[in-house]
Amino acid sequence: MESLGVAAIFYGTAAFMLASAFYVVLGRNLVHCAFALMGTFFGVAILYVYLGADFLAGAQVVIYVGGVLTLMVFGVMLTNRIYNLNLSSGAIQVVPGALSAGLIFALLVWIIQSVDWGAMDSGDPGPTSESIGRLLVGDYLLPFEIASVLLLIALMGAAMLVRRRRGSS
Amino acid sequence: MSDALQSLSRFLPELILMGALALVIVADLVTQRRPLKDSTNLLNGITLAGLIAALVTSWQALGVGEPQSLFASMLADDGLLGVLRPIFVLTSIGVLLLSMRSKELEGVRLGEMLALLLTVTAALMWMAGSVNLVMIYLSLETVSVASYLMVGYLSSDRLSNEASLKYILFGAVSTGAMLFGLSLLYGMTGTLDLYGVRAALAEGTFGPGLLFVVILIAAGIGFKIAAAPFHFWCPDVYTGAPTPVTAFLSVGPKAAGFAILIRFFYLGMAEPAGGGAIAPVGGADWQMLLMILAVITMTLGNVAALLQTNVKRLLAYSSIAHAGTMLMAACVLSVDGVQAIAAYLAIYLFMNLGAFAVVILAHRETGSFEIGSYAGFWKRSPLLTLAMVIFLFSLMGIPPFAGFLAKWYVFAAVISADLGWLAVIGVLNAAVAAFYYIKVLRVMVIDQETGPTPPLALSRLDVGLLVVLVVPNLLGLLFWGSLDRVTEYSQRLLDLG
Amino acid sequence: MIPLEHYLYISAALFSLGVFGVLTRRNAVNVLMSIELIFNSANINLVAFSRFVEGALGGQVFALLVIVIAACEAAVALAIVMSLYRVVKHVNLDDAAELKG
Repeated sequence: MESLGVAAIFYGTAAFMLASAFYVVLGRNLVHCAFALMGTFFGVAILYVYLGADFLAGAQVVIYVGGVLTLMVFGVMLTNRIYNLNLSSGAIQVVPGALSAGLIFALLVWIIQSVDWGAMDSGDPGPTSESIGRLLVGDYLLPFEIASVLLLIALMGAAMLVRRRRGSS
Repeated sequence: MSDALQSLSRFLPELILMGALALVIVADLVTQRRPLKDSTNLLNGITLAGLIAALVTSWQALGVGEPQSLFASMLADDGLLGVLRPIFVLTSIGVLLLSMRSKELEGVRLGEMLALLLTVTAALMWMAGSVNLVMIYLSLETVSVASYLMVGYLSSDRLSNEASLKYILFGAVSTGAMLFGLSLLYGMTGTLDLYGVRAALAEGTFGPGLLFVVILIAAGIGFKIAAAPFHFWCPDVYTGAPTPVTAFLSVGPKAAGFAILIRFFYLGMAEPAGGGAIAPVGGADWQMLLMILAVITMTLGNVAALLQTNVKRLLAYSSIAHAGTMLMAACVLSVDGVQAIAAYLAIYLFMNLGAFAVVILAHRETGSFEIGSYAGFWKRSPLLTLAMVIFLFSLMGIPPFAGFLAKWYVFAAVISADLGWLAVIGVLNAAVAAFYYIKVLRVMVIDQETGPTPPLALSRLDVGLLVVLVVPNLLGLLFWGSLDRVTEYSQRLLDLG
Repeated sequence: MIPLEHYLYISAALFSLGVFGVLTRRNAVNVLMSIELIFNSANINLVAFSRFVEGALGGQVFALLVIVIAACEAAVALAIVMSLYRVVKHVNLDDAAELKG
């Protein structure tokens, strides 16, 4: 009975997540789209919890919802004057776009069914923070360092772009 | 931990670049209030010193020691990385010198640009050495993010901004598709290590599903090397970016993209078949995929280049066509193809940077990138015209020039792999390419300018730069022996004979 | 428990929606949102395979790095959007095309 409830929450989350993703790509109001995106991000975080990835679920909420989404909302707000209520975004080529996306989905479903993934549930790994931390300073030391270089230049570059230059309006 | 410390000793060029990056950032902050000229000179000096030190160390490391893996099998320090490192650093040095003479970057603070240039040079090396799916994706994104910022550097210029926006949107979609493909490949094989992928793929056939995954990953790689049909960003970005950045994009990321292509397909999707040959595993016919991409890329690049009137757009399409030619060599399925690509890149570096150097110097005087504005150049500056003649003949692949050697390596490899039909298409394309290169030359040499024709002023630095770029193109055949010796190292891939 | 395939179906749906958004949207910020959907779908795959196929944390570390990269890319992209907006005062891809293929 308990597992039924767990499964129900899972599929409910999935449905909610996909519904908000639908709104992100179909909605006409950009601010609403940004809030729908928050729903998707939370949904993905809950899937991570189901997969036993507790650290990632936290990172997802902190970085995506707290960081990326805030940026997006700022982006929407700052590039449209506030009194301009018409924050709509026109969509074009809906039918060809829907056809190609549908085709890709069908192809992916077929691949998922036809490939033998050799899946076996390795069980809930328990708290993962310590193991991930050890991996980041062990086997994945180089990617970890490169990621920090990437963060450095992204920060520097983004600041450079938005800073007003001398001589420009 | 000891593994990491041991790896650092073979990581010297990258470490030097990172040190120079830190110095540039600090120096930029310290000289913020100083006059622009002093600050720029200091920053250029630090960057140049860092790049030259990286060049020396990467040259010394070339061909020393057996191929080995670094940092817990994240990077392969082997012949291919060894050969490409100096190519990357030379590209950056060339771009640095070009940026000093570019009119577009005059009066602009260059601190961030130089920091980006140093970062991207190191990131190209990480890309070229990646043998792990995480590293492939991470290094590719690092190069991409730095490139987006370099393209959009002139933040008050509309074209530069638009180019950058197109670049990042197109790039994020391509790399997103690649990431999805990588995640499925990880699921099919259960490992992130390229050699593990190879072992897992060798055990079973995955059929059409694997082919779809390969196409998704090819989208990301194709984006980096500007291969059709993932090239749409290329002409716009090349036109909108500051010209030294365009020159950089046409050589550096392309070279690293080919390194990833070789590593992914030759090491991850194939197993050694003896004598330097490889045999695809997993049941996905990626050789056919690469051949199709090569043919489309070459043909589209050359035909579209015929229609261009802007010299930056023309060079953009020409760089697409050159990517197609190199893709032919990637279809060879043996280390001969790897050497052909390495040799092609080494020569392409000089001929393409040369052509861009002429474009930048001409822009100083005429303020235009239209081919029509080059009319009467033969009278205005015989030296510049002569240099352009040599660079364009070299790009065409006409015999005494180095470009011929590059083409020779590719065609020899393709023919020895019994792909005669591919070689025929390649030759036909080379013939088409001659048309648009000659069109530019005709304007420069024969067409007369209607207005006044003041002689173009070239500084001593300009002449020196042109000479340095002309010599390898002009005397390429004399250096054939040493080129062959050096690029032969690129055949020594980690764990592939 | 939930089988692996169900996670994969969800991620496939999310990926297709992202592709649809990229193909049909004309506002740069909106295209960015669709791209985030693609990144998230790949991340679901990585974490699911990490648990069901590899049985180790490699996929989770990859996913963590992807989150970092996606954040960097979003920051840079929005900075470019701002910078372009300052120059031309609108961010729709169609009108912002002095450069046309």
